Amino acid sequence: MLSIPILLTIAWLLPLGSFLAILFWAPRLGKHGSAAGLLATVAIAASFVCALAAASLWFTKYPIPSAESHHPPYGASGSQPHSQDTRLADPSARESASAPGLWTQGKAASKTQGPSQLILWNAPSDRSGSTERSSRPDQASRVSPRHELANSPTREPLGPVPLLTGDWYVLAEFGHLRLTLGYYIDTLTILMVLMVTLVATLIHIYSLGYMHEELHPEVSDQEILAGDPPQPIRRPGRFARFFQYLSLFCFSMLGLVLANNLFMIFIFWELVGICSYLLIGFYLERPQAVRAASKAFIVNRVGDFGMLVGLAAWWGAAGTFHFADSPRSLGLFSRVAQAELDHNRTGQVVSPGIREQPSGQVVNNPDYPERPVAYGLLVLGGLGVFCGCVGKSAQFPLHVWLPDAMEGPTPVSALIHAATMVAAGVYLVGRFYPAFPPEVLLVVAVVGLASLLLAGMMALAATEIKRVLAFSTISQLGLMMFALGVGGWTAGLFHLLTHAFFKALLFLGAGSVIHCVGTGDMGQMGGLVRKIPWTAGTMLVGCLAIAGAGIPPWVGLSGFHSKDAVLAQAYLLMNYIPGIGHLLFSLALIGAAMTAFYMFRLWYLVFWGRPRSLDQLHHAHESPPVMVVPLVVLSVFAIIAGWRLPGLGWGIAPALEQARPISFISGQWWPWWVVPPEAESHQDSIHVVVSWLAFTAAAVGFVLATLFYGTGLFRLPSGVGVLNGLVLLLQRRFFIDELYQRLFVAPALHLASWAALIDRKIIDNLAEKLAAAVVAVANSGDLLDRKVVDGSLVGLGQGIYGLGRQLRQVQTGLLRQYLLAVVVGTIVIFVLVQFL
Amino acid sequence: MNAVTCFHYYVVACVLFVTGLFCILSKRNIIAVLLGAELVLNGASLNFATLGVWPASMVDAAVDGQLLALFVIVLAAAEAALALGIALSFYHLHRAPDVDEARELHG
Amino acid sequence: MQQLAEALTSPFVILSAIVFLPLLGALTVAVAPRLTEEETKIFSLWITILVLILVLWLAIPGAVDGRLGSLPWDQGRVQYGFSVGWIEAFGVYYFLGLDGINFPLVLLTALLGPLAMLASFGIDRQVRAYCALFLLLHAGMLGVFISLDLFLFYVFWEVVLLPMYFLIGVWGGPRKEYAAIKFFLFTLAGSVLMLVAILLLYFYSDLRLLNEVSLRACQIDPAVLSGKRGQAVHTFNMLALAELARLPQSPFDQDFWGLPVSVWIFWLLMIGFLIKLPAVPLHTWLPDAHVEAPTPISMLLAGVLLKMGGYGILRLCYTICPDAAYQFAWPICAVALVSMVYGALAAMAQSDFKRLVAYSSVSHMGYVLLGLAAWTIVPGDPSSRHYWTMGMSGAVYQMIAHGITSAGMFFLVGVVYDRVHHRDLSQFGGLFNRMPFYSAVSLIIFFAAMGLPGLCGFIGEFFVVVASWRFYPGVAMVAASVVILTAGYILWTVARVFFGPQYRGPHPEALTDMTVREKWVAIPLAVTAVILGIYPKLLLGYFQPSVTRTVYHLATWADRHLETSTTATGPQAKPLGETKFVPSQISSAASLSQTSPGLAHPSLPHGGPARPDGSKNSSTETDGASAPSPLAEGSTVTGQRPEGVLDQAIVRPGADQPKGTGLVEGRR
Repeated sequence: MLSIPILLTIAWLLPLGSFLAILFWAPRLGKHGSAAGLLATVAIAASFVCALAAASLWFTKYPIPSAESHHPPYGASGSQPHSQDTRLADPSARESASAPGLWTQGKAASKTQGPSQLILWNAPSDRSGSTERSSRPDQASRVSPRHELANSPTREPLGPVPLLTGDWYVLAEFGHLRLTLGYYIDTLTILMVLMVTLVATLIHIYSLGYMHEELHPEVSDQEILAGDPPQPIRRPGRFARFFQYLSLFCFSMLGLVLANNLFMIFIFWELVGICSYLLIGFYLERPQAVRAASKAFIVNRVGDFGMLVGLAAWWGAAGTFHFADSPRSLGLFSRVAQAELDHNRTGQVVSPGIREQPSGQVVNNPDYPERPVAYGLLVLGGLGVFCGCVGKSAQFPLHVWLPDAMEGPTPVSALIHAATMVAAGVYLVGRFYPAFPPEVLLVVAVVGLASLLLAGMMALAATEIKRVLAFSTISQLGLMMFALGVGGWTAGLFHLLTHAFFKALLFLGAGSVIHCVGTGDMGQMGGLVRKIPWTAGTMLVGCLAIAGAGIPPWVGLSGFHSKDAVLAQAYLLMNYIPGIGHLLFSLALIGAAMTAFYMFRLWYLVFWGRPRSLDQLHHAHESPPVMVVPLVVLSVFAIIAGWRLPGLGWGIAPALEQARPISFISGQWWPWWVVPPEAESHQDSIHVVVSWLAFTAAAVGFVLATLFYGTGLFRLPSGVGVLNGLVLLLQRRFFIDELYQRLFVAPALHLASWAALIDRKIIDNLAEKLAAAVVAVANSGDLLDRKVVDGSLVGLGQGIYGLGRQLRQVQTGLLRQYLLAVVVGTIVIFVLVQFL
Repeated sequence: MNAVTCFHYYVVACVLFVTGLFCILSKRNIIAVLLGAELVLNGASLNFATLGVWPASMVDAAVDGQLLALFVIVLAAAEAALALGIALSFYHLHRAPDVDEARELHG
Repeated sequence: MQQLAEALTSPFVILSAIVFLPLLGALTVAVAPRLTEEETKIFSLWITILVLILVLWLAIPGAVDGRLGSLPWDQGRVQYGFSVGWIEAFGVYYFLGLDGINFPLVLLTALLGPLAMLASFGIDRQVRAYCALFLLLHAGMLGVFISLDLFLFYVFWEVVLLPMYFLIGVWGGPRKEYAAIKFFLFTLAGSVLMLVAILLLYFYSDLRLLNEVSLRACQIDPAVLSGKRGQAVHTFNMLALAELARLPQSPFDQDFWGLPVSVWIFWLLMIGFLIKLPAVPLHTWLPDAHVEAPTPISMLLAGVLLKMGGYGILRLCYTICPDAAYQFAWPICAVALVSMVYGALAAMAQSDFKRLVAYSSVSHMGYVLLGLAAWTIVPGDPSSRHYWTMGMSGAVYQMIAHGITSAGMFFLVGVVYDRVHHRDLSQFGGLFNRMPFYSAVSLIIFFAAMGLPGLCGFIGEFFVVVASWRFYPGVAMVAASVVILTAGYILWTVARVFFGPQYRGPHPEALTDMTVREKWVAIPLAVTAVILGIYPKLLLGYFQPSVTRTVYHLATWADRHLETSTTATGPQAKPLGETKFVPSQISSAASLSQTSPGLAHPSLPHGGPARPDGSKNSSTETDGASAPSPLAEGSTVTGQRPEGVLDQAIVRPGADQPKGTGLVEGRR
């Protein structure tokens, strides 16, 4: 029968099918490719249906317990690792502990699938509070407050975390090293696939209307003026290509969500990046769009560089990328778990070797000695993976590409740069959570908070509608990273899912505003509420949701619940780490207030007050139904996404609870930073306090926004230098772009020209000089020949000739002189004889 | 008065030899050169003769000296004939008895 | 009839055909008077296609059911070779053979041959001479990869040089003479050093040290030994030399002017191959040769000639001089890293399209060198050699992937150059709308070159970077940083050439889309790039067994010669994560004793890769297809003294002191 992995695989491959179909038969797909849009939409809708079916199958098989008490037992603090006691007894025992399921062993290079392994992670059932951490001698003393908390009644038995994992296809195999493509399905995957396919379907429908003018064979692009009388250039319509890229993106995103190892995630990480490059640069005639596309991809590549280093670290230390165990080798999580447990035993974090018994038993391989995994390597690996997330989710240091990425068409911004791709970073932090040491989680929290505040401030001064939304995306993602950093796994991912809905809603709303007004600059808008009531209404819902509006303790829009969960975890942090906890919580509250302020500022500037440019107003018209329907559907989801069905206790948060791992690596470098377990943040006492605080923050933001922009009572004093300076600073995004340009890009180009110079000047003329030297040697050789060798002989000849010439004078022909010479010679001889 | 010893003969022979030699070297006329040659020969034969009489220490008395002197005289006669022949052809060739005319072999 | 079929499919006929068919073609083209230009091109195209068919026929396992049976590529030995006496007096044999390492490269050459020939239909000057030289070049390239006899290898190495000089010199661009002579002199300098190394190898080799089994494995008939009493029997046979190098007392450890012979051989060969590879200090011939060479010739130059360097390093340097490879792992890795970074940076600063692609080749070949050079074997830890297998497989894969992408890129540059006759990047733009098909194919090829997953460039790159971590983490980090530079210059080029409002250069009207002939060249390259990206096992299946076998031998050498002390000496600095071995736990103690194979190491019955009973270290590895068959170890039979004693005798001097001397004293 259709098991869950098969359903999700179909959901994953459908967009690829539509991508290939459009690629090969684009011209024949309807007039100017109009059918391509339908094909893509049908494909993504079908994959949504499959995802829905898989979800229903999953929740019937592993129901979310409908416990009335606020805390579902499932994995309340379900932990990946096995309880300490089962671990030590005997490795094979552990095997039995997680043996109920079956392992899909994708045979080499074949797609056949056996039943998939359901690894139920058993966790310590005894509630003696003997979680690993507290039992560690050096830990217990210092962290006393937590100790009591750990034993408080609220701690629930850790139910097993259902998990389906298996391999489809072995890419390459080197001894025990295996690179495979496979699936890793738990409730997080199910919810992510549901969210991605749902939002993608709505956005496909929306873009059928939005990209309408691309259908004409000859499109004139207003933004580019060329030719001697500068008039907009004409280019062929690219309707089919838009949907082709969208399908490829959906395929890659789903692949990323389904992946069961870091290698597969890295593959789809870059594929998603290239899709965003192609879609940002969709209007490839516009130079700024092309620059934005290249910038986006290169900044992503910087993140990928970090991720590659992280992957190399994990690969070097553990020898595998798989998250979960497989009969052949231990997965990353259990390696880290065992490393942590061994740490307790031997005081030495050790990565287990690999033993592959032919029988499929997973035991340590005595031949591969256990190598000590330095704690630094765990941190480096974690930081590397997080660096990839920072690049992809446009967090603080690598956020520069997202505001420029708004050059792409608005449905692209909605799908890629709001709901799905940028969420991939947060998803990966969530997925890889058990392997993150607390030090890395601290970095995650800090980076998240920085992005939250920085982007929030930049959003305050942005004038273009899509830039405001882009900054708000960065800040909301910062909030999610912060939540994950302080231990709020469920809170962070809950906010991720709800954020996808209302941010997509806001972007699509902005799209329909741009569609009818023609420009994105808020300076030319105002008073549109009467002209485009539906868009205004749905965007209002979006603003309320993102601000976290609702009746404090009980119910509110989706943003209210998810932000409340995040802030509850931050609140819990306060009593774990008194000093810093207060600071972090208050900064998070300020962030929430800022969010409310700039969202309503946007709403008022666009829809409220007097229209600032009349011509825009009179030809503004409401968008066609094909665009408004997705808006309405999304606004419905924005409202109900956070709720919990009273009877069944169903809802996103409880579902996520089922898959919640805990990061159980105890910090070695900064023991003061202890990640509070999330279960404790579910107490009612915390929720009441936190919801009221969040509500007041949002209310403050709302009131300020209405005062400044709603009623126009207050006007920013334009005269004050300091204020103008501040506004300029915010509008120029703290000059970070210029900083990066001067800090990285210019030196790289300079180095590049320097390298080319070296080639031409040094190595080449070195080669030329060498050649010249050889020629000189050749010449000198020739010279040598001519001068020395010939010279000497000729010289000798001439010498002898000269001598001969002198001697000739002696032969005077006069006989008497000869006789004289004879006589003198004889006399000389006689004399010599006498003396010698 | 002291007896005429071999030394005196040597002196006369030497004088004859030297004047002959000097005559050959200095005279340009071919006949004079020949005369000189004759003087040299006579000096040599005189020497031989004296040596015949007072042989050198290591050779016991023998007649070789005188024999050689006779031999020299005969030789001188042959040589004179030949030399005069050459002198005549030299004269015909160079129209002048001057020995220096014969420069053809100069370098 | 069966007899005839048997004879026809014998290795002698097939391999000689592969090498000499193009040679005959060249002769006929040169001699045949009546052929018109068009006919000569078609004829030579058919010759190259014929060679491709022959090679593809061999590629299908089981296709050759002749004498040799189906080609069991997973055996990791020479599958399809023969050795016929050529100059017996000096031990020179006409020895051609195919094994895992050279077969993929032969496949690549055979594939690029017809494509390059198709691309050279645009040549109009002296077509007959062009085709003759082209076929001669093709024969030389195939010969270099197939020949397993050093003498023959050197002959073919030179045969490749001549036609390339004329092809660049006559049909080249404006500065063709300079480029041709520069190319010729650079490579010739390298081959001179190689000649010295070959002679060293020849005169220090002695076949008598090998036993019966290994001689037959290297296709040398043992009768050769009986001839000369007393003197050493020298040989040029690569496989025999590799076997000799693996002996406990290898003849190449003797001293030669203060350094062991293997160090001399290693460096002489390495410099020759680094020039060809090209590695940075010796690379300046490549951009000039590429810029001036006509398009089809620079396709072959980048596609195949650069791989001869990489192939030589893998086939000769690392199998014959393991100790030098261990000792000089660091310098070679440094050269590799510099080539990668320098090549990418220089590419970023180019304004000429072809020069940019040439520098990108320098950068990609840096990956190949890093994959080969990163020594990850730790004597005490048998699992460490899998990382090097991964690195080397990544290097060989990168060679083939780069062969396809660089040939593709050069062809695409040629397509544009034939139309607008200029290569200035600042004068392009807006090609996407003018030439949609061309742009689509170019995007695939350029993204493959950038190392985008799902295309062929990614696999080799990823394997090399990730495997080099175990050599030294810093190396992996620098190698990974090159990914950004590559993305930088590729995207910058794509933006300047394909995107942008309209075309800025001369002759805009000439920018018509690809002709059918050009499509026949571009499509196979793009399709291969995609297939190799999705299904790497297609190629890994061929060369991985041989690479595993090479690394296996290096590992056994390392176990035998390097102390398994707690801190391994030599360049293998501990990666960040492994501060020290864990002396505790039974496993490491147990593994210590097993790794040094005692005398119990049996010599295996010929043919079957039976599981060696003695050394435990490979028995538990269920590496599946890649189980190394340590066939014909041949190393222990001659050693009269038990191995163990030798180990103690080996005084392991500090890493810096030349290693050989220690060994030598020990033995005398």
